[in-house]
Amino acid sequence: MPTMEVDGKKVSWEGRKMILQACLDNGVELPHYCYHQGLSIVASCRICLVEVENPDPKDPGKLVKIPKLMPACQTPAVDGMKVHSLSPKAAANQKAVLEFLLLNHPLDCPVCDQAGECYLQDYSFRYGRAQSRFEEDKAKKPKKDIGKHVLLYSDRCIMCTRCVRFTREISGTGELGVFGRGHKEEIDVFPGQSLDNPLSGNVIDICPVGALLDKDFLFTQRVWFLKKTPSISPFSSGGENIFIEHNQGRVYRIKPRFHKDINQWWISDDIRYGWNFIHNNRQKRISVRGSADCASWEYSLGRLEQMFRKAAAEKGAGSTVLLLSPFDSTEEMFLAAKWIRGIDSQARLILNPPKIEGRDQVFRNPATGAVTYIIRAEKAPNRRGAEKIIAHFGEPPAGRTDSLDELADRAKNGNISAALVLVDPIAHNDSRLGEVFADLENLVTLSTRPDGLVGRAALALPVCTWAEKSGVFENCEGRIQAFERAVAPLEETRSAGEVFWDLLSQAGTYNAAAVRRLMVQAGLAEYADVSIPQREKEVELMQFVEL
Amino acid sequence: MAFAGPVLLKRIPADPAQRKLHRWADYVATGGYEGFQKARSIPPEDVIKLVIESGLRGRGGAGFPCGTKWTFLPKDVHPRYLAVNFDESEPGTFKDRYLIDHDPHVLLEGIAIAAYANRITTSYIYIRGEYHRQAKVLEEAIAEAYAHGVFGGKHPGTDIIHNCYVHRGAGAYICGEETGLLESLEGKRGWPRIKPPFPAVAGAFAKPTIINNVETLACLPHIMLNGAAWFKSMGTPSSAGPKLFGVSGHVHKPGVFENELGVKMSALIEKHAGGVKGGKYKAAIPGGVSMGILGTDQYDAELDFDIGKKYNVLGLGTAGVIVMNDQTDLVLALRNIVRFFAHESCGQCTPCREGTAWMHKILNRIAAGFGKPRDFDLLMEVALSMGAMPGTTICGLADGANWAVRTFLQKFPEEFKARLKSPQVQGVNLAPVAATV
Repeated sequence: MPTMEVDGKKVSWEGRKMILQACLDNGVELPHYCYHQGLSIVASCRICLVEVENPDPKDPGKLVKIPKLMPACQTPAVDGMKVHSLSPKAAANQKAVLEFLLLNHPLDCPVCDQAGECYLQDYSFRYGRAQSRFEEDKAKKPKKDIGKHVLLYSDRCIMCTRCVRFTREISGTGELGVFGRGHKEEIDVFPGQSLDNPLSGNVIDICPVGALLDKDFLFTQRVWFLKKTPSISPFSSGGENIFIEHNQGRVYRIKPRFHKDINQWWISDDIRYGWNFIHNNRQKRISVRGSADCASWEYSLGRLEQMFRKAAAEKGAGSTVLLLSPFDSTEEMFLAAKWIRGIDSQARLILNPPKIEGRDQVFRNPATGAVTYIIRAEKAPNRRGAEKIIAHFGEPPAGRTDSLDELADRAKNGNISAALVLVDPIAHNDSRLGEVFADLENLVTLSTRPDGLVGRAALALPVCTWAEKSGVFENCEGRIQAFERAVAPLEETRSAGEVFWDLLSQAGTYNAAAVRRLMVQAGLAEYADVSIPQREKEVELMQFVEL
Repeated sequence: MAFAGPVLLKRIPADPAQRKLHRWADYVATGGYEGFQKARSIPPEDVIKLVIESGLRGRGGAGFPCGTKWTFLPKDVHPRYLAVNFDESEPGTFKDRYLIDHDPHVLLEGIAIAAYANRITTSYIYIRGEYHRQAKVLEEAIAEAYAHGVFGGKHPGTDIIHNCYVHRGAGAYICGEETGLLESLEGKRGWPRIKPPFPAVAGAFAKPTIINNVETLACLPHIMLNGAAWFKSMGTPSSAGPKLFGVSGHVHKPGVFENELGVKMSALIEKHAGGVKGGKYKAAIPGGVSMGILGTDQYDAELDFDIGKKYNVLGLGTAGVIVMNDQTDLVLALRNIVRFFAHESCGQCTPCREGTAWMHKILNRIAAGFGKPRDFDLLMEVALSMGAMPGTTICGLADGANWAVRTFLQKFPEEFKARLKSPQVQGVNLAPVAATV
C-alpha cells in the first residue's frame, strides 16, 4: 500500500487518490473549503495549498521539492511523497486566504445558524488573526430567498461553488450559477427559476459557511446544543442513513449520514423535512371506547389480552387479525406476531401495504450518466422486514397472509372476531381501513396519532415514533440496518415492542437487541449480526497553531 | 542580428494614408499563401521541425516555444482543435488588432499552416468581443479563403476536413487566459481550468487543442518561405525573430512598430515613437500592465524574452509598451492598473478575487490622501500573498496583479511613501474617488 508522510504522520491509501482525500481518509485534517468528495474538484478556495516533496523519478530515495505551493485537493498522492501543511510557506498562505475570505464576510456569527459548525470559524481559530487589517467598506450583498427550503445570505458566501456543482452534478437540475465577476460575484438562481428540486436541502449541508440556510431550521437552535443520533430514514424504502439532531427531547433537524452504497452524502427533501409527525398530532393517552377517563397501561394490557382470548375462543382459531405496519421495526413485528399466534395459533398476519408514489426517481450526473441518488417510490422503511416476519409465522398453515381486499370480505361476512392494528404514523389507507373495520367491536390500535382508526377502536394505545425507539429496518435492497433511540418517548407512550414484550411476560425490560436474539433462536439467522451505527465520534478539539 | 525591414508589417506602410485592407487578390499579389503552398509540399512533421528549428516563441505573453507546444499533442488522437487567441485585452496591447485591420489573410495562412502541420480538424479564432470590426474583416477573409480552397478541404493524405470559424468573446479579460478561453469557447463561464489535464491533451470539448496567439501564427508563412536560419538571424539567441511592439503613453507618435526582439526600449521610443512627450522618461511598462514596471534607470532595457530576470519584471508579455513621463503620478497609475485587475478578476480563486479588490480599495484611500505608513507594507504583503510567480492561484491573473503592484512599490517607493506621510497630497487632483470598482 503506498504511503506518504504528511506533517510527520504516515498516510496510506489505495488506488489513485489526491493528497487531501488520502489525508481525510486517514483522519489527518488539511484545511479545505471548496473540496467535497462527492463533487468535482475545482481547487478554487486555495486554502489547501501545501508544500510537496516528490520522490525523484531518476533517483529514488531522493526528494525534490516543488517550488510552487500545490493544491492538496488536486495533486495526486505519490508513494514516498512528503507533504508539509504546517511549514511557514503553507501556513502563511492559509493565513492569507483566511484573511481574504473574511474581508467581505459580515462576521455576524452571533446571529448565524452555521455558527458552531462553520469552517470559517474553525479555521479562523486555527489560522486567523485577531484583528482585521481591512479598513475599507465591505462589499454588501443581498439576502435571497432562492427556493422552497433554502435561503441564501450572499454576504456570508465564500464562493466555494459547492452548491453550484451540486445542482449540476448530483441533482442534475442546474438551477444555481455564479453571477458577476471578481469580488462582486454572487451565487444566485437563474432568472425565472427557483431551487426546488427534490434534493435541494443538501446544498445547505455542503455549504461550509452560513450562506445557505435552512428555512425550516432558521433561528430555532444553536447547533452546539444539538446531539446527533444515528438513524435510518423512516419514510422511504431506500434505508437512507441519517442523523437525528435533537436537544432536550425535541428533534430540530435531520441531516444525512454518509453511507457509501445507499445515500452517500445526500438525502432527499421529503426525508429531511418529513419528521414533523414526531412532535405534532400525537396520541398521548390511552383511550378506551365509551370512557372519558384515561386508562392505565396495566389495565389496558390486561384488557387487550382478555379481549383477544375471548374473541378467539368464541369464534375459533383464525378469526383474529394482526395488521402490521411497514413503519414498525422488525423486532416489534416479531413480538406482535409471536404474541397473537400464542393466543390464536392461526391468527391472520396482514401487512398494510405501503404507499407507492409513481416510480423510483433516479438522479444522474448529466455529464457522466452515473446514478447519484434514488428517491424510492415506496414510502415506507420496512416492508421487507414485515414480509419476512409474516413468512416466518405464515407456515403452517400456508397462505394465511391475506390482502386488504380479502380482509374486507372476511370483515363483511363477520369472520373477524378481533383485530389488532399497528397504525402507520403517516396517514395512509386510513379511510380504507375505516371501512374494513367499520363494524368491528374488538378493534385495538397501536398508533402514534390520534386520528384515523383510533376513534373507532375499543382500545387505542399510544405508541412511539421511530425517533423514540430503536430497532432495525430492512430496505428495498435487503440491507438490515439498525437505528437508535434519539429522544425520550412522549408522556404516556410506549414503543410497540415494549407493549408486546410485557404481554409476552418476557423477563427484564424491552430492548431491540434482546428481541433479535429471540429472533435468531426462532430461526431468523440474518438478525444475528446487525451492526449498531456508530455514534458521532467525539470531535477532536481544534488545535491552536502558533504562527 | 539583422533586421532588414518589416516582415509582419510588410503590407502595412508606416504612412497612415497609404494603409489599406488587403483582401484576397491584394494578398496573393504580394506573395500571399506561398508559405502555405510550400508547407503543403513537405510532410507535416517537417513543418513542425522547421518551426522548432526557427526558435519561434509564443507572442501572446508567456513566450513558450511554439513548435514544442505542438509536439505535446498526443499521437493519433483526433479530432484536434486549434484555438487562435485573439482576445487581445491586456491594457497597452493592440498589435494583433493593427495586423488584422490591414492584413487578415496572414493570420489565415498561419492557421492553414499550423492546421496542416498538426492535422487540425477545426480552427477557432477566439476574438475579443469589442473587436467587432476585426471580426467582420476576418469573417470576410475566411469566406474568401473558403472560396479559394484554403479551408474546407481535406488535409493531404487524410480524411480530416479542416474548417475555420470566428468565435466572438463577450468582453472578459480572463478569456484571454488559454483555458479560460477554452471554457468560453465551449459556451461556459470563462473560468480558467485547473491543470492537468493540459489543453494539448484535453482542451476544447475535451479534445487535444493547441492555443496560439495571432502574431505567432502570422510568423509562420514567413518562416515557411524564408526558412529557420533567416528567422533566427533576427533577435537574440533565445528570442528569435521580428516582433510587433505597440507603443503608447507619453510618446509623440504612438502606434504599432516592428523590430527584432532584443531591441532597446530607448531605441524603440526614440526611433519609432518620436520620443517621450511632455517631459523626461520616468517609467515604462514593457508589455501590458501585468508585467510590472521598468524603472527610470531601465530606459535601455532590451525587449526580449529574458527581460524578466534582468530587469525585475514578470516578462516581455505582449510587448505593449506604455511610456510614462516625469509628470506621471505613479500612485494614480497603479490605482488604475489595480482597478483593472479588480474589475477583471474572474472570481474563482480566493486570493485574486478578494486581494485585487482590497488593493484597489487601499490605493483609492492612498490616492484620496488617507494613506497610512503601514499601507506600504500591507500592499506589498497582499500582493505577495496572491502569488509571486509561482503563484497561489489557478491562472496567472493574480501573478500579474502582484507583479504590477510589487514592482511599482519596489522601484518607486518614495512616490508612495510621500503619500503616506501626510494627508496633503501635492499636485494631484483630489476629486472624491468612487469606492467601488
